Amino acid sequence: MVKTVMVVDDEPDIRATVKAVLEKNKYKVVTAVNADDCLKKIKGGEKPDLILMDIMMPGTPVREVIPKLGKVKIAYLSVVRTSEAEKEDLMKNKNIVDFIQKPFDIDELLKRVKKLVG
Amino acid sequence: MDIKKELSENQTILLIMDSAEYNQDIVSFVKKLNGKNIAYVTLNKTKDSLVELFKKNKIKIENIVFVDAISKTLKSVPDQSEGVYYVSSPGALTELSLVISKFIRHDFDYLIFDSLTNLLVYESKAPVGKFVSALVNKIKESKTKAVFYALSVKEQEALIKESGMFVDKVIDLDK
Repeated sequence: MVKTVMVVDDEPDIRATVKAVLEKNKYKVVTAVNADDCLKKIKGGEKPDLILMDIMMPGTPVREVIPKLGKVKIAYLSVVRTSEAEKEDLMKNKNIVDFIQKPFDIDELLKRVKKLVG
Repeated sequence: MDIKKELSENQTILLIMDSAEYNQDIVSFVKKLNGKNIAYVTLNKTKDSLVELFKKNKIKIENIVFVDAISKTLKSVPDQSEGVYYVSSPGALTELSLVISKFIRHDFDYLIFDSLTNLLVYESKAPVGKFVSALVNKIKESKTKAVFYALSVKEQEALIKESGMFVDKVIDLDK
């Protein structure tokens, strides 16, 4: 069965690149430009197996939107540097399954997506 | 490049850095200015991650006060706690300006603004340019010396160029 990944990032280049790579690897990809757009799409019926979500984007802060997304798996993408303790804290939320530091190697990202959703 | 010497000759400097060297550069500059009162404005790292980075590099942080525009977007923090003021987000230019002005009024030795590049993620060039111009003017009325970091990013050449007109000296570490 085809797995769906939602890429939520305010940077068009990131959305386009990740989408292209994932689609080439047989994933269905949905994109959203920020956390509000992501929530709107989830409420509109999208049911991704994994959300790749930039941790800091314009609009409603990600941390306020995460609890409204239901039980979907979320991997943070972060250009922001946090301390180890902060990272652990952010990962405490059950939905958060990975923390991927930007800039990332696209092959490494793909490997992690495969590990998370198959 | 001797940042201390440059700041003794110029009150405001724009430092253009290569992203590959950026993390090493920010540690090395703070190391050179260590011991003086520093206000460190961070728009891309949390205060805790900077403290972690500085301590790892044996930099004393007792004389550094942070203005952290990241943590509030990631977790619940108060408006201020010991050695740190939290600002809502890097795009909250008015809030950022008010907090930085406090430090300038207290004549901190140095203000490090890390970095102009991150401002453009949240705001368009016009308000950011205005913000930088107003901030530099405030600094010029004080004794504080300021260094603005910017990454050498092609998409942001226009802002870097514009900001370069406001400061006393532009140093491109790549050149």
